[in-house]
Amino acid sequence: MNLVTRLYRGETSFDFVGAKRIWLAISSALILISLVAIAIFGLNLSLDFKGGVAVEVTNVAGVDVAAVRDAVTPLGLGDAKIQMLAGGADIRVQVGTLSPAESRAFQEAVAKVSGSSLDQVSIDEVGPTFGAQITRRAVTALVVFLAAVVLFMWWRLEWKMAVSGITALFHDLIITFGVYALTRFEVTPATVIGVLTILGYSLYDTVVVFDKVKENIEELHTDRMTLSELVNRSMNQVLMRSINTSLTSLLPVGSLLFVGSFLLGAHTLRDFALALFVGIAAGTYSSIGVASPILATWKEHEEEWERVRRRKERGRADGSRRGAKKAAVESSAASKTPQAAPKTPQAAPKRKSGAAPRPPKKGKKGRRR
Amino acid sequence: MARRVITLIIVLVLAYGGVAAIVATHTTPELGLDLKGGTSVILRAPEGTDPDVLEKAVEIMRARIEAFGVQEPEISISGKNGVLVQLPGVTDRERALEAIGQTGVLSFRPVKASFLRSPLLQPLTTTTTAPGETTASTEPTTTTTFPENVDPTTGYTIKDDPALLDAWLPEYDAEGKLIAGYEVGTLLDPETGKPDPLTGKDLTEALANFGADGKWQVNLRFNDDGARKFQEITKAAAQYPAGDPRRQIAIVLDGKVISSPQVAETVDPNLGIAGGNAVITIGAGDTQQSEAQDLAVVLRYGSLPIAFERDKVQSVSATLGADSLRFGLVAGLGGLILVAIYMILYYRSLGVVTIVGLSVFGSLMLIVLGLLSKTSGLTLTLAGVTAIVVSVGITADSYIVFYERIKEELHRGRTMRAAVDEGFTRAFHTILTADTVSFLAAGLLWLLAVGPVKGFALTLGIATFLDILVAYFFTRNAVSIISHGPLGEGGFFSIRAAAGGVQEAS
Repeated sequence: MNLVTRLYRGETSFDFVGAKRIWLAISSALILISLVAIAIFGLNLSLDFKGGVAVEVTNVAGVDVAAVRDAVTPLGLGDAKIQMLAGGADIRVQVGTLSPAESRAFQEAVAKVSGSSLDQVSIDEVGPTFGAQITRRAVTALVVFLAAVVLFMWWRLEWKMAVSGITALFHDLIITFGVYALTRFEVTPATVIGVLTILGYSLYDTVVVFDKVKENIEELHTDRMTLSELVNRSMNQVLMRSINTSLTSLLPVGSLLFVGSFLLGAHTLRDFALALFVGIAAGTYSSIGVASPILATWKEHEEEWERVRRRKERGRADGSRRGAKKAAVESSAASKTPQAAPKTPQAAPKRKSGAAPRPPKKGKKGRRR
Repeated sequence: MARRVITLIIVLVLAYGGVAAIVATHTTPELGLDLKGGTSVILRAPEGTDPDVLEKAVEIMRARIEAFGVQEPEISISGKNGVLVQLPGVTDRERALEAIGQTGVLSFRPVKASFLRSPLLQPLTTTTTAPGETTASTEPTTTTTFPENVDPTTGYTIKDDPALLDAWLPEYDAEGKLIAGYEVGTLLDPETGKPDPLTGKDLTEALANFGADGKWQVNLRFNDDGARKFQEITKAAAQYPAGDPRRQIAIVLDGKVISSPQVAETVDPNLGIAGGNAVITIGAGDTQQSEAQDLAVVLRYGSLPIAFERDKVQSVSATLGADSLRFGLVAGLGGLILVAIYMILYYRSLGVVTIVGLSVFGSLMLIVLGLLSKTSGLTLTLAGVTAIVVSVGITADSYIVFYERIKEELHRGRTMRAAVDEGFTRAFHTILTADTVSFLAAGLLWLLAVGPVKGFALTLGIATFLDILVAYFFTRNAVSIISHGPLGEGGFFSIRAAAGGVQEAS
């Protein structure tokens, strides 16, 4: 059966947890790049965070950047940030904080040079302290959200899952801001909303994987499978879901980003969509490459799982026929042929009841040695 | 089975019928400022402003804005000291800002005369008669002239300034009915002879309390400058006998007389009220209690040391707003089509269920937003449109979780019927968990955010909630029905085929 078919059928057996060094390397590199980018370039904070005046107007007169600059220079605003949007059809000019009178003169100058009347001008005027306020609110929202989510995941799943999920979340946050630092896209309040939304997404994805892990632990809890194997299996089972979900989320968001960025120059949409786009992609990756390996590695050291693992390792080291046979059955079960599949559900309860007395026996033996 | 079909039909009728009803009755969601153009202002009062005072401020802003003809201004208090003002379609931005950005102008003024109707509305025949002999007698009213700054229809001063030597100001009762008019003057500096008005700046405290004499009263305290001016003004008023309008002091806020207490008979005309403390006695009883409290609030509001700070002013031109809406919809529709294509390619007949499900979801969304818009003044902003686009992804996810579950159960060897039932039970569990996280995010955003962000959070929250409803009442039943029919097992388009093969369909 080829890879595509197996993917389609959810019967892949990628060793996600085993590849944790690779994930670690990728994630570390991404985080490092992000942090360096943020440190060097900083974030391109929008008007809302810094305070200032921005006007946006249709370029009726068809003027260029130089003409606009000439128009605002007499007002002492020669260093204004002038952008042409939608291929020069719209003009956006941004300056620092102004007094009401200066602001009025500025708006009139831009309106005049672009050939529009004043009431066709879109104006954004932000006081200098507004940014601090919304930043504070965003941070409050973030902290409360994280606390609530940790508690929820703890209650619904378990605390190690909560911590692993949150770690993945920070990973996504850093990478998202890293992309903003690198691309010089503006960080607006819309971006902040986008980021807060990502947090939901990222966790959502992780919750689905962990939910499966939890279910598998309850259903397949035997001495035959180490936790890493179990996590791997869970991830393989939900792999197509993760890919599909990310695709169906990225398609509309990508559409927003594309429309916003290239076609129509609606920057509000764009600022927002980039955060979502990067965040969703990072969120999907981190639930596979960060949250799950952390959980697997961490939980593997719990006493009962440690026991299973030692026994399996021992079995392999002994090379005993029984062990080898078992391993063979195991691996074929992971990529079961359909004919063999029906046996699994029937086998499960049997195995469960049969397995119960077994582990302590073997465990004791193991300890004696 | 029959129950499933009936439920499905009910859902479809509710959703599509609802949309038809919404469109037919024009209950479609009201568009926000960023989609139809207008001005929105976020103002911030100084830290620690008392909530009553903030409400008074909002009331006054509303009156001022309505005074220059803005239809339905939306003014709301957000957070502890923020005010969000939305002015749809406002083009005279400067004037609007002027009206809302300032604290009310409070002043204490000597009363010159009181009247019921402005005397300026009486024909001022004297100004036109003398030289003409017969011509003037028939139409003296047409030549009536008003002093500058007086409204010709009401006869009252249009723009009040505490330093005006002469102003005609109205007093209204709680229902807005005119109860009296006053001609007021201003306090003059005894040395220079120039106007030296006693204003809110000179007032440091105003508290309503129940006096020892069993009456409600408002206690005032002035600063040093205020104390001196208050003494002057009361000294002058005390010259007149009790009952004379000139013994009154008009308390004026924003060009309207709020109260006109009379200087007590016990006050010595040579001394006035000295020391900077004064008491306005209102009377006993419940109405007097609220009257005293209202007056205290008005006085405190007018004496706010700093005017509101403009945190953010945003004007969106009508064309930009319309563009944004169009772009949002184009993007949303584009995304939706891509998702639809993908779902059909991947999940075959189940993909079709998804598309119908998304249309049901969209219809319900429109209905809920429309109703909320009607009942609680919700407006659909750009952020809201974005939230809807985003929620397409979230909703599609619920289908995927469900379908992948069905596939998994099929691979385990269950029958189609069992796979669908079991798949739903388990998938729904996951959907609930994951949606709880989204809901949590939306709820927190809603609680903490201002303005447009609130709209985003609300829309996202509604979407999450509808997602659960649609999954339970629509998707489950639709898939179940399909699985019983020919699309369950055989053929390229079937569920079995979507699960990865027909060969083992035994």
